[in-house]
Amino acid sequence: MEQKINMRRIIGGAVPILIVAALLALFFGFRNYVPALHGPRLSITAHQLPYYAFCSFNRMLVAYVIALVFSIAYGMMAARGRMWERIMIPAIDIAQSVPVVGFFPAAVYFFVALAHGSRLGVEIAAVFLIFTSQAWNLALGVFESIRTIPDDSREALEAFGSSGWLRFRKLMLPACVPKLVYNSILSWVAGWYFLIACEIITAGPSTYRLPGLGSFLMEAANRGRNSEMVLGLLTLLLVIVAMDLVVWQPLAVWAEKFRYEFTSGAEAERSLGMLNAIGMLGPSVYRAMRLAARPLTTLAQGLLGAIPPLDAATRERAARAARAAGYAALLTFVTLFSYATVRGLGALVRTLMAPWPAAVRQIPAATLASTIRMIAAYAISLGWTLPCALAAIHSARFKRWLSPIAEIVGSMPATALFPVIVVLVIQVTGQMNLASILLILTGMQWYLLFNLLAGASQIPAELKEFARSYRLSRWATWTKLDVPALVPSIVTGSITAWGGGWNALILSEYFVYRGQTYKVLGLGALLDAATYETGNNLMILLSLLSMVVVVVSLNRLVWRRLYNLATERYRFD
Amino acid sequence: MALLELKQVSKSYPHAKGNIRVLNEMSLGIELGEFIAIVGPSGCGKSTLLRIINGIVPPTSGQVLYNGQQVDGINPECAMVFQSFALLPWLSVKANIELGLEARRGAPAERERLATRYIDKVGLDGFEEAYPRELSGGMRQRVGLARALAVEPAVLLMDEPFSALDALTAIGLREELLDLWQAADSPVKTIIMVTHIIEEAVELADRILVLSTGPGRLVGDIKVELQRPRDRRAEAFNSLTDRVFSLIEERA
Repeated sequence: MEQKINMRRIIGGAVPILIVAALLALFFGFRNYVPALHGPRLSITAHQLPYYAFCSFNRMLVAYVIALVFSIAYGMMAARGRMWERIMIPAIDIAQSVPVVGFFPAAVYFFVALAHGSRLGVEIAAVFLIFTSQAWNLALGVFESIRTIPDDSREALEAFGSSGWLRFRKLMLPACVPKLVYNSILSWVAGWYFLIACEIITAGPSTYRLPGLGSFLMEAANRGRNSEMVLGLLTLLLVIVAMDLVVWQPLAVWAEKFRYEFTSGAEAERSLGMLNAIGMLGPSVYRAMRLAARPLTTLAQGLLGAIPPLDAATRERAARAARAAGYAALLTFVTLFSYATVRGLGALVRTLMAPWPAAVRQIPAATLASTIRMIAAYAISLGWTLPCALAAIHSARFKRWLSPIAEIVGSMPATALFPVIVVLVIQVTGQMNLASILLILTGMQWYLLFNLLAGASQIPAELKEFARSYRLSRWATWTKLDVPALVPSIVTGSITAWGGGWNALILSEYFVYRGQTYKVLGLGALLDAATYETGNNLMILLSLLSMVVVVVSLNRLVWRRLYNLATERYRFD
Repeated sequence: MALLELKQVSKSYPHAKGNIRVLNEMSLGIELGEFIAIVGPSGCGKSTLLRIINGIVPPTSGQVLYNGQQVDGINPECAMVFQSFALLPWLSVKANIELGLEARRGAPAERERLATRYIDKVGLDGFEEAYPRELSGGMRQRVGLARALAVEPAVLLMDEPFSALDALTAIGLREELLDLWQAADSPVKTIIMVTHIIEEAVELADRILVLSTGPGRLVGDIKVELQRPRDRRAEAFNSLTDRVFSLIEERA
């Protein structure tokens, strides 16, 4: 019996990895059909910046709209029943565990081949990459929202004899609004991170250039043009802060209306972080901001209201059409997916049959080195975020001070700082190891901090009062109350932090600066070297796969166990 | 001299639209051995008052005197029982009670002796190693009570201790609380309980303090002179309940 379960678990772990491997092999196979492209020369003059910002923003917007539509459809489908859930939710888990940055070159080959060698393929690949960084958490948000609609609300609508359409318009969609808005904010942060990442990647090899803020920054760093670099960073900051003030903060306030639970305080506090920071500038500035944002909330309200009510016959027809379209889409997807997997398995075998380069022997050592770097960055992240969270639990003032700053700094895509960090560290130490750990750190720490702060605000007030009332020592308060209460957030934060860390790792172990390549021993470096130097598909595949294997086994052996322990023991109920 | 004395105690909280005053110049004295019930509509600051007496919340102005001495910070002679029990879900019943004794810095053996003693007193023997999650609401509040009693405080503070329980469980626990308090060896002499259930106040207390809302002020101070055990169906009981009710209603 025991053995059977083990076999099942091994198969359950191995099959998804095999599918990922097959798809990767298939995508990389397109490399052979792709002509070398010559991207536009990047000029880095300051007056070009608005144009570059526009290019980057456009990619974000397109990817986000697709991700939004996709996630609503996907989340609703997954919430339809147990069977759907059992397939669709683990699928997201797997998709999330592939380090998307490493996947980017594969996507470039695939889409460039698909676009018949046009430069548009690079654009699509970038949009695709951003999409994959945005869609999963949105879809999970939709799924959770629908699953947690209170039964009595559902039954109330059914008692009025309302149809599927009305249910979608008046119940499902509004129920998703709070999580969609909150996750959209996170998705845009992640999206900027990956957009800048792929613009930086394309700035390396001259072939697939994407004009944008990321490539501008990279090029400026490469040519040592410090003032342009600062200007580029300021432009990015401006775009992000403006976006936050004009779009997200008003939407977040608006979304509070759609909440089912009536917890005041902690929740409201979270969404108002940056508004508070602006509020410090003065009430009139704050009011002006709110006023400027009003058309947007009106628009969102209007869009939600504008979905028209339908008469019974049309409704029936629409419902039937929608169902048919849904099944058709599903069928198409399953067919394409199976076809791609089968073709991919063939490609995988062919790739593996090719002579293995000597570099393969470096993979075990590289895996170890990369993992050690990840652990070092993780230790530093936890080392400063945990004390911050502990301080925030017992000092409202510290929390008020920390939250808005963390929100602003954390919403800056750390990838934009990569060129700066690398150049500084290389100039000081002459090598990459420290820079690499610092870059991984930037990909990890915010996930931990935000999860820990969210966990800190969920500790019941009466427990904190108990600690004070019974004069518990600081040590006892930390070890008996605070840290155990934070365990669930430490675990979920760590899972996302490690995911972000692997992506950062790919960018952090290999860096071309002023024509010279800086690299360290590691999976990311092997992957990048294979992508940009030798073009060896087998090496790319094997390094990516090693990464996926490490990610999946860490998830299953460490994080999932900790997660189960955390939700079993360290929760409030 | 009163055991506990509040002098002109006010409390305001900062708010977006200026400060909100929860308590306004409250003055009162509490004698040794009294069982006090504080009642009032929600938002009258009765829980805040209890926290000011404990020292968890500092008053914005005014003083709290204990035995004639001004108290700043936590008053170690008080122990609090919370509405939602405030137990740590990852610690066993016994570990929860021992944690409450942590500040006493006594030898571990002494803490264990106290914990076991009060586990017995509240009728939890056999549940020492159980976790709060495995217990019913009534049992959990017994743990909360044992944790407070184990500190052997002179003043027991109770913040709506039976509000989260079903009515039958609450009736049983009220009787047990009276028995514990009236026992000759009880270290707890004085009890201050916040409640919004007027019958509970009339059943238990020697003195009922009635608070009005916005901002909280003292509008009634009623001595309860019914014999214990009190009969909830008696004429005198009901007329007193009505009196407290009308005091609250006319000020609301």
